[in-house]
Amino acid sequence: MKKIFGRIYILIIMLFLYLPILTLIVLSFNEAKSMSVWTGFSLRWYQELFHSKIMMGAIANTFSIAILAALIATIVGTMAVLGMAAMKQRTENVLMAFNNIPMLNADIVTGIALMLFFLMIHWPRGYMTILFSHATFCIPYVILSVKPRMNKNTDRLFEAALDLGASEKYAFRKIVLPELKPGIMSGFLLSFTMSVDDFIITYFTRGAGINTISTLIYSEVKIGIRPSLFALSTIIFVVALVVLITVNLRQSRADRAV
Amino acid sequence: MSELIRLESIVKRFDDTVVLNGIDLSVAENEFVTLLGPSGCGKTTTLRIIGGFEKPDEGRVFFDGKDITDMPANQRHINTVFQNYALFPHMNVGENIAFSMRVRNKPEQYIKDKIKYALKLVNLDGFENRRIDQLSGGQQQRIAMARAIVNEPRVLLLDEPLGALDLKLRQEMQYELVRLKKELGITFLYITHDQEEALTMSDKVVVMNEGYIQQEGTPEQIYDEPVNAFVADFIGDSNILDGQMIAERVVRIDGVDYPCIDGTEQGFPPGRPVDVVIRPEDIDIMPYGQGQFNGTIISKLFIGVHYEMLVQSENGEIEWLLQNYDQHDVGEKIGMKVDPENIQIMHKPKSEAESARELDL
Amino acid sequence: MIAKKRFATPFIFWIIAGTVIPLISIAYYGFTSREGGFTFSNIMAMFQHDHLQALGLSLLLAFISTVICLALAFPMAMVLRESKYGKQGFLIFVIILPMWMNFLLRTMAWQVLLERQGVINSLFAAIGLPRQEMMNTPGAIVLGMVYDFLPFMILPIYNTVSKIDNHLIEASYDLGASKFKTYTKVIIPLAVPGIVSGITMVFIPALTTFVISNMLGGGKINLIGNIIEQEFTVNSNWYLGSGLSLVMMVFIIASMLLLQKFDKTGGQNLI
Repeated sequence: MKKIFGRIYILIIMLFLYLPILTLIVLSFNEAKSMSVWTGFSLRWYQELFHSKIMMGAIANTFSIAILAALIATIVGTMAVLGMAAMKQRTENVLMAFNNIPMLNADIVTGIALMLFFLMIHWPRGYMTILFSHATFCIPYVILSVKPRMNKNTDRLFEAALDLGASEKYAFRKIVLPELKPGIMSGFLLSFTMSVDDFIITYFTRGAGINTISTLIYSEVKIGIRPSLFALSTIIFVVALVVLITVNLRQSRADRAV
Repeated sequence: MSELIRLESIVKRFDDTVVLNGIDLSVAENEFVTLLGPSGCGKTTTLRIIGGFEKPDEGRVFFDGKDITDMPANQRHINTVFQNYALFPHMNVGENIAFSMRVRNKPEQYIKDKIKYALKLVNLDGFENRRIDQLSGGQQQRIAMARAIVNEPRVLLLDEPLGALDLKLRQEMQYELVRLKKELGITFLYITHDQEEALTMSDKVVVMNEGYIQQEGTPEQIYDEPVNAFVADFIGDSNILDGQMIAERVVRIDGVDYPCIDGTEQGFPPGRPVDVVIRPEDIDIMPYGQGQFNGTIISKLFIGVHYEMLVQSENGEIEWLLQNYDQHDVGEKIGMKVDPENIQIMHKPKSEAESARELDL
Repeated sequence: MIAKKRFATPFIFWIIAGTVIPLISIAYYGFTSREGGFTFSNIMAMFQHDHLQALGLSLLLAFISTVICLALAFPMAMVLRESKYGKQGFLIFVIILPMWMNFLLRTMAWQVLLERQGVINSLFAAIGLPRQEMMNTPGAIVLGMVYDFLPFMILPIYNTVSKIDNHLIEASYDLGASKFKTYTKVIIPLAVPGIVSGITMVFIPALTTFVISNMLGGGKINLIGNIIEQEFTVNSNWYLGSGLSLVMMVFIIASMLLLQKFDKTGGQNLI
């Protein structure tokens, strides 16, 4: 009885989560521009999407910013974890408190604050200011995922390597980095997705004439929804689905190997 | 035996707490020396200073006559078996053992032979390709040993290597360690808080507490002639009692006078208040009224080979701990006797610092 | 020691340039008048009728959305906890997947569903019901908030309840507690850290959003986020925008301090 109840509940939540997305997917293949009348199957909205130079530019911007921001955040964040391990507990706590601010603060405040900062130092807003801002909100996530792996045990393994005659560099490369690697990887991936997903901070820190996927969607929706956005939704959904399934399969295969 | 390691008045502070308070220690070539003490006594810090992981704030470290105080860990001919082993989790057994040889760019064939030899030495032939998380605690311990010795160090530092193992395995490994040491012919500097381990394996035991060396000597000396109440209490079960010298070689405890073997010559003139240690197995049980003092058994435990009893003395408030092979019942009144050579007289600690200073003399 | 303090230098630079100075700039603009003098008027502007109304509505809608999310998420987390292991992995996957879709597109989906010429109204028309005015209502905004933020409530709660040792629940029954008592005295108290991070992750974005209200409110319903956004993008009054942001930050900090009182782990479950 309880089980059936649980299943029905899961089903309701799933319908709630997926019906809107499914609606978009179905409508993306609709011949007509209408949101309510099905006039026949068509790929014209996909064509329109791929022929839009602005959209292609926005996609390129989104991914290049995400990769660069994630890279910068991963390097700065990992180094920060190493640096903080050498500090007194109190200094570390202060730094961690600052580290948490962009994570806990509302995006709108972070975005506005960064925008005002760029205005104050006369840094013209554009690609670079978006990149800087994205790195700023990604660094905390890298630190939070790498930090737990940098513990007493990492120190002990490092010492063991020195004890066995390794130089500090060698020990770092062969022992410490492999130990931190899972944290570094998840920090990078988390940063990447946060960056791709961001709208609010990008909205305030971009200049005129530069768009990411998010800001482009926002300005298009304001003018009026075009079905090419349904096509975009479908593509993003399928890509996310494929990526997540691949990651999950790999994960479960790795788990089974243990 | 020639001296291999010498510590000269080592002082170490962490922030404001003094962890080592002027440690002098000498370890001879091929000796098995154990640093014994409760957690926080400074034994691990001492080991880390010898290994090169900490720098002393004062004092020098000598190795084979040379000052190595400022030499980094990776250049010392010393290897360590770490607490919890510190085996590299992303490498298999063979790669772990090969680590120090790969660092030194030894030829692969040499490395292969050396791994085989080391695994044989620790009785784990054929384990080269096992992953670390597939090993039991005892096996991990052996691999940590194998990894530390392939580099042929002159000293092996062992930081509570048996601490994570269960009792039976721990006892087995004690024999194993002694055998390994014989086969390798190198110096072992061993750290433990387990007095039994220290007494069974060592040539020399160094008892530490609160950053001071309390006593050093052979296991027999440490057990039979503890120099103060701390050592006596830490090594084995004891009755540590308040006493006073009332005549030459006579000590009064709990209103009863006992002949003993210490007097003015040993620094215990008549009139001096002292601490007295009497081991529970050194108290003989006699028929009631026939011993030096009488008491009533108030509890009894059977501990494998012998019985352990608490006896309330008739004269006063003291509860004596006794160990005896014979069974006596709770409530039974008995007489007891202690031979003079089993009464260990010790100086009363005036204060922690003062007593330690006296011991340093 | 692997660590060297100087490795943290770029990070400290980034904290100063990316967090500290920008926050100081907000404070600077917030307390400065258009003419350049010191003023409280940008802060006090929150008490103007329109602004106060927007803030009140934001707090109300964010509160309602958070309560709905919590009410939907807790049972979901418990169901996930009790379903079988392999299935669990799949179900978590299904909840994470929508989070990967751009939230603007997800919000747009509701626009498509709710509009006067939208999908739901077409269905209504098809079965002879009158078309309903669903867009541009506070209800539509709450729906959008719940839809966008629900996974952020489910995941942290699931993370904590999945770690509750079954023996604790059995022990509770063993000691005579009813099912209800077991929930109120054992499961919910242990889930508090997850509930607290879930609330943080739903309430704060909901309180400060301008996107959902813009898209589903049709620009007719102003939340405090919309007011602030407009000061920056339409009216170009950064001074007023900054002043209002500062007041909003006070509400954010207050709500987090309030939440932290319940959570003794100090926000360890945020991710």
